[in-house]
Amino acid sequence: MELFFQQLTNGLTIGSIYALIALGYTMVYGVMKLINFAHGDLFTIGAYLGLTLLTALEITKQFGTFIGLITLAAMVCILVAVIGVLLEKIAYQPLRKAPRLSAVVSALGASIFLQNAVMLIYGARVRVYPQNILPSYTLNILELHIPIVRVLIFATSLLLMIVLYLFIQKTKTGVAIRAVSIDHIASKLMGINVNKIIMIVFIIGPALGGSAGLMVGLYYGQVNFIMGWSYGLKAFIAAILGGIGNIPGAMLGGLSLGIIEALGAAYFSIAWKDAIAFFVLIIILIFKPTGILGERVAEKI
Amino acid sequence: MRKFLFLLSILFLSICFLANPCFAKKTIKIGLMCPLTGAYASEGQDMQQIVELLADELNAKNGINGTKVEIVVADDGSDAKTSAMAAQKLITKDVIAVIGTYGSSNTEVTQNIYDESKIIQVATGSTAVRLTEKGLKYFFRTSPRDDSQGLVAFQTIQKSGAKRIAVLHDNSSYAKGLADETVEHLKHAGMNIVFNDALTPKENDYTVTLTKIKSQKPDLVFFTGYYGEAGLLLKQKKEMGWNVPFIGGDATNNLDLIKIAGKKAVQGFQCTSPLLPTDLTDEKAKMFMTNYKTKFKSDPSSIWSVLAGDAFKVIVKALEATNSTNSDVLADYLHNKLKDFPGLTGKISFNAKGDRIGDVYRVYKVDHGNFILQ
Amino acid sequence: MKNKKIIDVLICVALFVSPFFLNMYWTDVLVNVGIYAILSLSLNIILGYCGLFQMGHAAFYAVGAYTAAILNVKYNIPILILMPVAGIFAGIFAFIIAKPIIHLRGDYLLIVTIGIVEIVRIALVNNVFGLTGGANGIFGIDRPNVFGFIVKTPFHFFYLIYFLLSITVLLFSRFENSKFGRALVYIKEDEVAAEGSGINIAKYKTIAFVIGAVWAGMIGAIFASKMTIISPDSFNFWESVILFTIVLIGGSGNIKGVILGSFLIIGLPELFRDFASARMLIFGMAMIAMMIFKSEGIFPPVRKIYKIAIK
Repeated sequence: MELFFQQLTNGLTIGSIYALIALGYTMVYGVMKLINFAHGDLFTIGAYLGLTLLTALEITKQFGTFIGLITLAAMVCILVAVIGVLLEKIAYQPLRKAPRLSAVVSALGASIFLQNAVMLIYGARVRVYPQNILPSYTLNILELHIPIVRVLIFATSLLLMIVLYLFIQKTKTGVAIRAVSIDHIASKLMGINVNKIIMIVFIIGPALGGSAGLMVGLYYGQVNFIMGWSYGLKAFIAAILGGIGNIPGAMLGGLSLGIIEALGAAYFSIAWKDAIAFFVLIIILIFKPTGILGERVAEKI
Repeated sequence: MRKFLFLLSILFLSICFLANPCFAKKTIKIGLMCPLTGAYASEGQDMQQIVELLADELNAKNGINGTKVEIVVADDGSDAKTSAMAAQKLITKDVIAVIGTYGSSNTEVTQNIYDESKIIQVATGSTAVRLTEKGLKYFFRTSPRDDSQGLVAFQTIQKSGAKRIAVLHDNSSYAKGLADETVEHLKHAGMNIVFNDALTPKENDYTVTLTKIKSQKPDLVFFTGYYGEAGLLLKQKKEMGWNVPFIGGDATNNLDLIKIAGKKAVQGFQCTSPLLPTDLTDEKAKMFMTNYKTKFKSDPSSIWSVLAGDAFKVIVKALEATNSTNSDVLADYLHNKLKDFPGLTGKISFNAKGDRIGDVYRVYKVDHGNFILQ
Repeated sequence: MKNKKIIDVLICVALFVSPFFLNMYWTDVLVNVGIYAILSLSLNIILGYCGLFQMGHAAFYAVGAYTAAILNVKYNIPILILMPVAGIFAGIFAFIIAKPIIHLRGDYLLIVTIGIVEIVRIALVNNVFGLTGGANGIFGIDRPNVFGFIVKTPFHFFYLIYFLLSITVLLFSRFENSKFGRALVYIKEDEVAAEGSGINIAKYKTIAFVIGAVWAGMIGAIFASKMTIISPDSFNFWESVILFTIVLIGGSGNIKGVILGSFLIIGLPELFRDFASARMLIFGMAMIAMMIFKSEGIFPPVRKIYKIAIK
């Protein structure tokens, strides 16, 4: 039984990272009906930028660990958000009226471009974060070993998600984002600046993705230029699993995917872990084609 | 529409144009096939740097009997299809011999292509046993074979006195091969294999895998995959407060392993490996490594790229000694006459199959953040 | 109209004599272009005509290639005989998976097909049923034997592949104008109206899937015998993405466009091979630029005007 709970906690940390990235997918999908394949690479860029800032500016040494990390996170978020906005302006905005799949190809192109740009700038080798920034204390509760950092990762992602949820639900901009995701034209008629809303989404999504990248870098300590591909794909599954376009759905999807993977690996086979995740996804989509929390939206005719 | 058809014909013309062989200055061309893009890009980049540095040094000293050497590089893209094309490309560039490549399955698709064109191929990182079991006349490799490593790994495990062994690989052709070879030996010796499965490479979180292995209560874990995953495994194992001994295969002998895992977590980790670049004993090899470091600001990250350097050196030696560019003469020289040639990684001779003779594998143990030869 | 035909014919003639003027490397590049052209044409039926977001075409290709490889290595059956067998296996596989997922729409179908190609790859890597040889794959596959002549060099393969490509083009252009082909386009343009006109949507979509898979499976057999070794790496998600891109960049639903797309995506990057590491960077940029300036592909599908006999 303790094995089960240990694997559950393992899965929750993995899942919270997925959820954080999935939010970017789901928000962009909500307002633009576009699968932003380059989102995983924004996550990678966040991880690499964090590394550069950390080693070049030595932020944590100058400001102390806590304030240093918050400054670092803020800087990474801002920089990745700038790249996200540029990405939208260059690769997606000209294609708003084009067929849906053209934007998908453009997104794939952007993904290839960003991934290889990272490789050319930072090299193909695995890059390693400086050690000993985060506390390495491990909690031992009832035979469960939970490193404190994992708890911190989980708590941080949860906090970010709750803030985002409140932002979407309670603020005026949030309402506007929801309106745009339902109907572009009607929102325009209501006086919403659709372009501005899309820009805001391309600030929030990449910023969250970038912060996820930073967390991965800080905790796991190594980053490589292709990691965005697998994290991105997983997060995308998570978004669909929860019901794409739905923000609590992305959180739920991410966490459940993490748990499915952990338990699948624990009780079936580690080598088949990803296949199990995809299999569950397919099964859920067959029985509930819009994902766990997805609402049935009438297809536009 | 017509414009595009026009474009298409331009494309054709340019292909035809580019395809024309250019009659340039007379040099001896040696092909280097290595992964410059894709998953193994970092290895390929090191390979290219080493071989080109060696070629520069050679050309500065009068080349091969007065003729300069030209390295023709082809990217194998870390995949089979691109490798096959790279091979065709090198053949059309009239290379005499080819160095490479890294991945075993990528080497395998090119073997027949080179053999049909009678071009000497010296593979550098391809350890799969079957490559030299086909009786190909022009194929050699400077790297050891998986079965010789499997034996060393088995002996190391046996020496540790462990009874319950967990074997973990990453389902890559190489890591699976090594795991299978070792498991075979372990079973033969009557040891209890309590776990044998594959993780997914290039992920960051292996706690699920470790928790599962731990529940089987092994005395020792043998991981045959690459250093990135090994580093994370060691680090996360330490966080779990689990002190099982860990042994790795030769893909873990990378200095980045220590950086990833941290000195404390990696203490006592053992791995089988050919001599590390930093442990090379030969004076010439040492000097070359110093030159390399001054030029590229870092050591080669693994031994595999140094083996590409050795491939270059044996080819050059054969060309010098025979003063011929005939593949049959060269192959005969490499098979029969080349004995104990001082390479970067030690003495090199080839057997009839084209395999390198001699024990290449050593055991390393990590102590205070350094790989120490046992 | 007449001029256009003349240009087409000239291009075909130029293509068919080109191996005599090209070296082996470029002939091999053209062979690869041909293989991708046939594969993309088979995807075109699903994605181009029927408008189903299929990003897992490599799965069918893999099933075909592995079927042929296993049967050839175990029982020494000649590859050309195995071609239809590989196609049938891929078709059956497509039928089984299409059944439950065919009602999914748009992006949901996209992710499910990605899932399928990944599951297939993981199954191959894990040596499913002990048949696929794991990550090593299967080696020692025979070269095709055409009436006693063994197809070996890129030069030989060129004519085999382009012969198959010609047959494919011929059949698929007939198909395009058939009742069935028109029904598929109708489904793509307006599913509700198509259903209203009495088209059994699920059935037509499934058949489109199966036809595409059969063709991909057959060419998989040829691919296996060209490489003589196949491993799961050759059938990853990335391959599916390439096929997907070829169809959309060339112009989905347009045979000429898809073939041109294969030249651009497979052939053109070879010209930049000397840039090695920057090559993919340029490739990514080109994909974005292409979609911005030609968002319906280079050759958008031709709007056909059918003459209807009105009584």
